[in-house]
Amino acid sequence: MEDTLLDLLHSEIINYTLQNGDEKDKKEEDLSGLEYIGFSTGYRIIERLTKEMPRFKDELDTMKFICTDFWLAVYKKQIDNLRTNHQGVYVLQDNAFRFLSRLSSGKQYLEAAPRYVAFTCGVIRGSLANLSIQCLVTAEVQSLPSCKFHIQVQRM
Amino acid sequence: MTVHNIYIFDRMGTLLYYQDWNRLKNSGMTKEEEAKLMYGMLFSLKSFVNKISPTDPKEGFLYYKTSKYTLHFLETPSGLKFVLNTDNHSQGVRDFLQQIYKEIFVEYVVKNPLCNLNEPIQSELFKTKLDAYVKQSSVFLTKSM
Repeated sequence: MEDTLLDLLHSEIINYTLQNGDEKDKKEEDLSGLEYIGFSTGYRIIERLTKEMPRFKDELDTMKFICTDFWLAVYKKQIDNLRTNHQGVYVLQDNAFRFLSRLSSGKQYLEAAPRYVAFTCGVIRGSLANLSIQCLVTAEVQSLPSCKFHIQVQRM
Repeated sequence: MTVHNIYIFDRMGTLLYYQDWNRLKNSGMTKEEEAKLMYGMLFSLKSFVNKISPTDPKEGFLYYKTSKYTLHFLETPSGLKFVLNTDNHSQGVRDFLQQIYKEIFVEYVVKNPLCNLNEPIQSELFKTKLDAYVKQSSVFLTKSM
């Protein structure tokens, strides 16, 4: 039941933010508000999840934590594939992303998919920010319900 | 044993979904007309059954049977109506309808934010899931006809 609650709340947050967005730029939906909600959520949830964990060795170790424990806690499954070029770019692939899994399996509703991944982009960015990794997170959806998150670490 | 077709109506009588599998005879009217006729009949039957019942009708109208087919009717507390036509040998159809409601309708329509409730269902995913679910069920075993 609590899973359903999160799903429904998540979709209502999307409706709400889209309704309140400025009407001036019609062709591109403004998802930054959504992303920011995700950022604060991710930033806070990290404190709760890592309270009994040792520190992470390095960046890759942190990413692995995101793919396994973190994803399991938030999305009830692990990331299916993690790839990196060892220069600060990571690609996390989820083949059955929770917020897309009930929409369609294929191309139907593809144009609406960005709305349902923006929050999660923010969650990842917020979590990593609290683990002292500054980064850019974007998502790519080619065919639902699979989704790729691109993480680009900002080097100082 | 075989499943002929399914209708899903909302509380207001809108036809949300229709699909047939082994329908051998057509009603000779459009789908919209047929849905209205079907809903009207169910509405009348429901009130008839409740009025004429000599004891307290707990669940009211559940199904009717002709010499060739059985119509199973499930109404949820929210007023959704699931109607399934099968042959006369099918068993456990009521549970089956309940499962369709719980595992297919709620999962892929109610939890899909892009599906407007009270409107005909457009989701391809719902369509494929329902089709697969019906075909793998024990109720659906096509006789060679």
